[in-house]
Amino acid sequence: MIVGERKPMDEILAMLEGHSRVLVLACGGCVTVCLSGGEKQADELAALLRLAARKKRRPLTVDVDCITRQCDREFTANLKCDPAGYDAVLSIACGVGVGFMSELYPATPFLPGLNTTFYGASTASGIWQEYCYGCGDCLLAWTGGVCPIARCSKNLVNGACGGTNNGKCEVSREMDCAWHLIYERLEAAGRLEELRKVRPPRDWRLDRSGGARRLTQEELTDEEVGK
Amino acid sequence: MPQERLTSQDILDRPSAVADLMDSQWAPCRYNCPVHADVRAYLEHIAQGQWRQAVDVIRRNLPFAAVCGRVCHHPCEANCRRRDVDSAVAIRELKRFVSELQGAAGATVHRPPRQDKAAVAIVGGGPAGLAAALELARWGYRPTVFERFTRAGGIPATAIPEYRLPRNVIAIDVEWILAHGVELVAGLAVGKDKTIEELRKDGFQAVLIATGLSSGRGLSLPGAPREGVLGALEFLTDLGMGKRPRLGRDVLVIGGGNVAVDAARSAVRLGSSRVRMMCLETREEMPAFEWEQREAQEEGIAFIHRRGPVEVATANGRITGVKARRVTRVFDENKRFDPRYDDGDIVDVPCETIIIAIGQSPDYGFLQGSALRVDSRGRLDYNPTTCQTSDPSVFACGEIVTPPGSVVEACASGQRAARAMDLYLSGKAIVLDDSLPPFIGAIPSETAGKVRKAVRQPVAAQPAETRRANLDEVDHNYAESAAQREARRCMSCGAGAEVLIDKCAACLTCLRVCPFDIPVVTDVARIDSDRCQSCGICIAECPANAIVSRSRESGWIIRRTVAALKNLDPAALRIVVYLCGHIASAAQWRGEEHLAQGAAEVYLPSLSALSTLDMLQAFDNGADVVLVVTPQDSAERYPQAVKRLRKRVSQARRLLKDIGLKKSRIQLFELTRPGRSAIQETLATAITDLRGGTVKPIGAVP
Repeated sequence: MIVGERKPMDEILAMLEGHSRVLVLACGGCVTVCLSGGEKQADELAALLRLAARKKRRPLTVDVDCITRQCDREFTANLKCDPAGYDAVLSIACGVGVGFMSELYPATPFLPGLNTTFYGASTASGIWQEYCYGCGDCLLAWTGGVCPIARCSKNLVNGACGGTNNGKCEVSREMDCAWHLIYERLEAAGRLEELRKVRPPRDWRLDRSGGARRLTQEELTDEEVGK
Repeated sequence: MPQERLTSQDILDRPSAVADLMDSQWAPCRYNCPVHADVRAYLEHIAQGQWRQAVDVIRRNLPFAAVCGRVCHHPCEANCRRRDVDSAVAIRELKRFVSELQGAAGATVHRPPRQDKAAVAIVGGGPAGLAAALELARWGYRPTVFERFTRAGGIPATAIPEYRLPRNVIAIDVEWILAHGVELVAGLAVGKDKTIEELRKDGFQAVLIATGLSSGRGLSLPGAPREGVLGALEFLTDLGMGKRPRLGRDVLVIGGGNVAVDAARSAVRLGSSRVRMMCLETREEMPAFEWEQREAQEEGIAFIHRRGPVEVATANGRITGVKARRVTRVFDENKRFDPRYDDGDIVDVPCETIIIAIGQSPDYGFLQGSALRVDSRGRLDYNPTTCQTSDPSVFACGEIVTPPGSVVEACASGQRAARAMDLYLSGKAIVLDDSLPPFIGAIPSETAGKVRKAVRQPVAAQPAETRRANLDEVDHNYAESAAQREARRCMSCGAGAEVLIDKCAACLTCLRVCPFDIPVVTDVARIDSDRCQSCGICIAECPANAIVSRSRESGWIIRRTVAALKNLDPAALRIVVYLCGHIASAAQWRGEEHLAQGAAEVYLPSLSALSTLDMLQAFDNGADVVLVVTPQDSAERYPQAVKRLRKRVSQARRLLKDIGLKKSRIQLFELTRPGRSAIQETLATAITDLRGGTVKPIGAVP
């Protein structure tokens, strides 16, 4: 799932400066699951915005709405508040939702309430950890399920660097060295030989270097195939 | 139970959709109550010190609230799910507390503006007849109750001893019932003073026979003289009507039911030096309630089990004792009453007075001058499906047509007959729907093990030595604080969380925070209403606002907050105090006494449901400061509630800081000792510090 984190309030307040009618729009997808962009967080954010305005003696109307996902056009039919009726919409979806909704409602500024941080999993109650980077060329098959792109600070694919330090990364003592994890995982599984195999170079065009990516499932597209 | 599939659209379409779920599946206390009083609801009102609301909820179903508070056999308690945790909630005592506290005037009378439907005659002013009369009056009929005694109330008013049921308690219920436009004609015996035919000529379009079992069943014993053998019902009625029946020093009560115990305990109070009860049954087989037996024993009454009287022994025309034979069995293989005796084992039981308490029988005096049919065994011809007798306009209810029961069962029978009469008088076919919704099953042991124990509040009783000497009541009522503590033991079965499946993101938060491990997440979260403890923690934590409470409307906390804030000076520092009701007494719940001058107090059943959002919304609605007062974890009703509260308070403080407001605008106090003075001192210090310090009003809400 996509993990996001609320932007600092200073930044949010600065973005909303000059707007007097604001809609806080929550997303019922990933960001609800990581407790950053759900309807409850939208209600909290709305209360904070009104309170900040009260403190500054500034009139501000804040409403709250939530749809199942901000990354699918059809769910906008369930909006109870029309974005056109607001000076700005503070979307607390991930960047996908903010971008997609901006496209659907070009007349209304959609502002990001969250910083979209990573693709992760919940490792314990209230804790989410990055597991994937979306590089487009998955190599987990031979790294024991530990992603060196997402979890190595340098995205190295050919083993640990000199900064590995008793299982930790030189960047932070809190951070595991991904290659140390990979080694341990494969050793425990008796698959260390995997690391000896020569791998062809990665196709970095599949990553961001190839520009914005796109997925087409032809069987579902409306266009005629093969023409 | 099958899970409901509730969506947010359902609530938009019908705002009561969540609350209605409570009616679709009852708590076992309500299900097993013969009149199905909403026990959970009135206990909740008592817990909150809302006495009138509590009584009104009881009286919606149970006209004899005060009487049942004293004498009910309380099947609600026998089926209370708390029994699987520690012990049943003292429901009857709480009913007694609140109905006597409020009296007749403290309960709302819903008399319809027009009572112009048919006039109906009710024969018999006991619980069944008056319950029927009340229902008919509520629906706009004009009921008149004919009672042969000079006072209404039936057996409770005439024959239940005053030490169990003082007359002023019965008066509460009767007065309240009559206030609904029920006419009472007392001192008139139908059949003797007026016939059913004459009633019809007087304009009554339907008649209800509710005369009960008003005669004692006799037992002819060879050798019994005229003097010295009393019927228990006659004896108790004489006593109840103010006479002092003459008894010998040594009294033997024959019978093992509750009336027998009443007679024996009354004999003790009239000064007999030895009172014994003799019955066919063993202690376990005796029909008298266990607590009646225990209290009788405490008062010095001895039991002779498994003996049946054969003849009365006399000397000079005076009773000297009873010859009694051994009972070899009471019931046959099919549990039918069929006693067998050993005539070779006969003992003399010395006594001077004999009281026969082997059951009651109907008095068919009302049949005089009527064409009503009786069956081959002399019983009133009666159709239980329609409550009608052989005359379609004459109905019957109560013990004359049902097995002997308690007051609440008589009320249920009367209410059913009233429904039948309403259909009849409306020209409709009499089809009574007796179906009930399902009830919540037993609490699973793994859940019961996680519910915190809470001791049942004891009721103080007079010592046996004191109560032997007079007809004063035996036990005392709860004090307010004890009543509230006891009411809070209710586990609110079936009033808990419900998932809105369209909003649930299956995020697992509910599963992670529930102290009772109840939510299961499959496609969406599922919260089993059989197990939910209604703490509200999942509701406070759910990021999707996808969980709602069956018993509390969404936004109830902020609505209370807004109402409390209205009372504060808009120019002063506006302080909202959230208090757990467990640590504050009834008066404060009712807003009659303030703990902190100039602060808005919001009492909650537990702070387990107080969310970060609630605290922020308090500021949003004009608060400058929020103080949260909770008992320590060990005194809180829900496990982990205090831990959750701490986290929410610190989250709310961080969020305030993010917009440049001091963290000290939200403060949490975990009280180490209970009671008002502890709260008052804590709040006084905090508020003085705040007023004298640097925390200023944020400004008016635009």
